[in-house]
Amino acid sequence: MNTVKLYLRSMQMLMKSQLQYPVSFLMQTLAQLVMEGGEFMAVLLIVDRFDHLNQWTPGNLYFFFGMMSVTFYLTEIFGRGITGNFPSLVRTGQLDTLLLRPRGIVTQVLCSAVDPRRVACVAVGVAALILGSRQSAVQWTTGKALAMAEAILFGVLLILGLFLIEAIFCIHSVKSIELVNAITYGGRSACQYPVDIFPRPLRLLFTIAAPFALTLHVPSAYILGKPLYGWPAWTAFVSPAAGGVLFLMLYLLFARAMRYYRSTGS
Amino acid sequence: MPYIAVDQLSKTFTVRKKREKGRLTREKTAVHALQGVSFSVEQGELVGYIGPNGAGKSTTVKILSGILTPDGGSALVGGRVPWQNRKEHVRRIGVVFGQRSQLWWDVPVIDSFSLLKDIYRVPTEAYQKRLAELTEALDLAPFLRTPLRLLSLGQRMRAELAGSLLHSPELLFLDEPTIGLDAVSKLALRDFLKYENEKNGTTILLTTHDMEDIAALCRRVMVLGHGKKLYDGDLPELLSRYDTQRVITLRYDGGAALPPLPDGCQVSREGADYKIAYSPQALPTARLLTLLQSAGSIRELTAQPENIDHLIAAMYREMGL
Repeated sequence: MNTVKLYLRSMQMLMKSQLQYPVSFLMQTLAQLVMEGGEFMAVLLIVDRFDHLNQWTPGNLYFFFGMMSVTFYLTEIFGRGITGNFPSLVRTGQLDTLLLRPRGIVTQVLCSAVDPRRVACVAVGVAALILGSRQSAVQWTTGKALAMAEAILFGVLLILGLFLIEAIFCIHSVKSIELVNAITYGGRSACQYPVDIFPRPLRLLFTIAAPFALTLHVPSAYILGKPLYGWPAWTAFVSPAAGGVLFLMLYLLFARAMRYYRSTGS
Repeated sequence: MPYIAVDQLSKTFTVRKKREKGRLTREKTAVHALQGVSFSVEQGELVGYIGPNGAGKSTTVKILSGILTPDGGSALVGGRVPWQNRKEHVRRIGVVFGQRSQLWWDVPVIDSFSLLKDIYRVPTEAYQKRLAELTEALDLAPFLRTPLRLLSLGQRMRAELAGSLLHSPELLFLDEPTIGLDAVSKLALRDFLKYENEKNGTTILLTTHDMEDIAALCRRVMVLGHGKKLYDGDLPELLSRYDTQRVITLRYDGGAALPPLPDGCQVSREGADYKIAYSPQALPTARLLTLLQSAGSIRELTAQPENIDHLIAAMYREMGL
């Protein structure tokens, strides 16, 4: 529990320090709102031209979009240390300072940054979820709410895990590898649509390598009452764990990579 | 058993150079940061660790604080191998990098401290006591509630130092702690280090380029160059080895010429000023002065003060650094 307390205290302190520059904070939050709002607008405009995409109605698609936005940007708010900060920690040698403290590195990296501006993006995601579930006439049950919470939780872990790949490269090469963005940001853009609209290679990529389909799409489809590939309902509660498994695997790889870390400068 | 025991420590970095035009592969060079360095330090010692840039000082500190793993040799700090079981080790040491901040930039100093308390799991009572002690000794009270970014360099350094000592480490590494500080701050910092060393028995390893720091604080000094240990022992003794020359500058009334001087004196002339370098061992200063006075009446005479930096520069030169 002490680790959780430390994380919460760090977050509180970082929020405080962000608010040291209130105008800048407000402007940037507004900018985020415009950016993510624009993205949703684009989806609205495109989807509006179709009656349906495969079996999915426009309302269904808004729901998928919302799930991805909420999950991805919650990760960016609370996991900013990993999703954004890590390369600069390595490059500037600030990682040394973390190594000098008696706590886990991933814990400390997570404690090192927060990005509250993204709350605007999460808000857009929530709006999309509400609109989507209204238009799809979702009958909410406790089970569905649970499935959704679980999907978001494991989705956050999945995205953190994918960003750890970049961190691992970073430890070895000091510079960050933009290629990894293809599955992190690329994964976000692609998987705001349900996976079954994509050709087979992409479906495999997003089911096995970066299992957005398992963590987000299966439960979303269950909530919408149109099971993905007709899978039984219980899969919606089991398959999201794939995100947790991926995170665990990459966490272990990361810990291994840290052994090869060589610091920079003096 | 000494507190720090380092034996034949070595570390090599591979540095890749930028690819040259017309070649497919990049050239790699091995940089031997440490080549078989051995030393030991007793508990409660305050040791200076000096050497030119790139000598391997920081590498040693990084290995002893568990950030880097050496390629060869062994090191024990308080019976622990630093790079194994990192968390257990760093709980008991403190490190201050003069160039790198460990506190949070935008938050008041006291908030940073209280987060460090949580990170190191310091019990509240011990924390309060230690904080009070450090606040008093380092005079932190005036800026404890000010965000770090608004502090002057001297204040920031004091805050950094306090931050690294909150968990009462048994060993403190200081990597150029007085870099960029004004005279008053430097003196205050030195006083504090002396106090911390004597009062709490904290072992201190001080890396610096400021020889005044070393002279004021350390009796024992280790000199490192090109990854090898070149000297380990008394500072005054080291200095006396290189402290062989004195320089005086003088001018006569009416521009009289210098008398003939014994061999071993180097004379140079700039306008009416004579600059004489001599060795006091061979030619006592009193005799030289008598000689000089016999040639005419001296209007001005300046003796260049002994400068520790010059001595060190001479030493580095002789050691081929």
